[in-house]
Amino acid sequence: MSTVESNRDVPLAGGPGTVPVVPVASETDLVPTPRRSWRGVWLRALSLVSLVAVWFIASLFFDESVLPGPIRVFGTLVSNLGDSETYFHLWTTVYRVVAGMLIAVVLGLVIGLVMGLSKFGEEFLDSWVLVAFTVPSVVYGILAILWFGLNDAAAIVAIGVTAVPAVAINMWQGVKAIDLSLVRMGQAFHFSRSAILRKLVVPQVIPYLLAALRYALGLSWKIATVVELIGLSSGVGYQLSYWFGLFNMTQVLAWTILFTIVLLLIEFVILKPTEYWLTRWRPSMQN
Amino acid sequence: MSEKVSQSDGDQPYLVIDNVRKQFPRRGEPPLTVIDGLNVAVEHGSLLSILGPSGCGKSTLLNMINGLDDVTSGRIVINNHVVSARSRSAVRIGVVFQEPRLLPWRTVRDNVRLPLDELNVSRDEADERVQRYLDLVGLGEFGDYFPLRLSGGMQQRVALARGLAIEPDLLLADEPFSALDEITARKLRREFTEIWRATGRTVLFVTHNIREAVFLSTRMLVVTARPCTTHMDIAIDVPYPRVPEDDRLFEIEKQVTKDFIQMEEAAAG
Repeated sequence: MSTVESNRDVPLAGGPGTVPVVPVASETDLVPTPRRSWRGVWLRALSLVSLVAVWFIASLFFDESVLPGPIRVFGTLVSNLGDSETYFHLWTTVYRVVAGMLIAVVLGLVIGLVMGLSKFGEEFLDSWVLVAFTVPSVVYGILAILWFGLNDAAAIVAIGVTAVPAVAINMWQGVKAIDLSLVRMGQAFHFSRSAILRKLVVPQVIPYLLAALRYALGLSWKIATVVELIGLSSGVGYQLSYWFGLFNMTQVLAWTILFTIVLLLIEFVILKPTEYWLTRWRPSMQN
Repeated sequence: MSEKVSQSDGDQPYLVIDNVRKQFPRRGEPPLTVIDGLNVAVEHGSLLSILGPSGCGKSTLLNMINGLDDVTSGRIVINNHVVSARSRSAVRIGVVFQEPRLLPWRTVRDNVRLPLDELNVSRDEADERVQRYLDLVGLGEFGDYFPLRLSGGMQQRVALARGLAIEPDLLLADEPFSALDEITARKLRREFTEIWRATGRTVLFVTHNIREAVFLSTRMLVVTARPCTTHMDIAIDVPYPRVPEDDRLFEIEKQVTKDFIQMEEAAAG
């Protein structure tokens, strides 16, 4: 019965210029993906222009002290840009946000990993993280000022504490979503433990870290301006409160818009390209 | 390092599963016997398929062959090396799974390259091998694509290239076509035999599909449900390239199917 056919007479794959022994795949075998187009850019621009138009029309019906028109506000904005004070306040807020975020990312990462990797960690920490997530960030601001005084430390701590739960929750979910079949693939190919961690586990968590960062950033700006508004004498929040005190609506709007532009720049110059590059392998779900 | 088996090459069997038993200890109960005396021996370049009902200790067997677990008694020999969890580096094994298990964030080329980096293959050698095996599976043009852009069948071909690129002593294929639609699976089975013949590697192919096992293999091992033992050991002497409609293959399939059902009924009754 057992005369197993030997295949040694068949030429082995090797040498240069391997000829495929199977039909070569073509472009038509690919899963189609939608093309990136300029349509999105145009639509965004259109939406922005229509908002300014609505603002302009509305401003015709109100007094300047209530709703100044866009031309006036942008004029003030541009003249503010000539003043070095403006950059000082902007930079102060950016510095506080970045420092607070750093705290949030480090702490949130550790807490999230502990919760994702150990059952004990999850049960010990999950209710606290959820409570910390629910407490209004203004409360952290008030407490930080009470405990640390009217200084940078208060702002940074308040920002950090506000953003920690958001980062932790994202990382917790990220670790739980790790595809174990890839880890088993690594084991089957006898990868080292460190290679499995570096090449198979960490890359799976990165999209979650990115989402956590973006969310934390959004929270951080808000709490930063609130803390500055409550008790500090520098930063964008201080400027807003100062001009509000003088009932200067034009300056309040000019500062709001300037700040928004800075946020959008960070989003579109740093976050979006980073995210696009890190997740370029993922076909878009939209069409 | 590893225990060398004295017999040298020639027509000595290349892959030997010699009276392998595997038991798992249980607290307060007699040990659970998963595999109870499995025997087979095939020459270099064979395509051995193992066909068994689900839950037949198949993943345990694959783990032992791959050096991730030890046999309780008996031995597994690949290319004159006795396989054990300690000596696993002596034998190189490529694996293809039921799903492609590619890293979606790496390009096709970098996916095939991944195990080569772990084996410290030099950069030039790795580049050349990756391209060669992608060419072999018909995906030479697709090295820069990300896996999620490829169809299921293409992804499985990438996985096959990855398993072959390490130039393994043995390729383990764990139901690689069972998750694909029948048309794609049929196409890939034919391609698989062509690729296997071109590389001359020894392949162990696990499947639940009788027709697939008959169509692909040079030798077929039918095993029983737990505890897993040899039920039938059949050589399939039909020359390649085969066509699925071949009457000889059909006869063997009919025979095995009849026997398989009897075995299942005997186990149930």
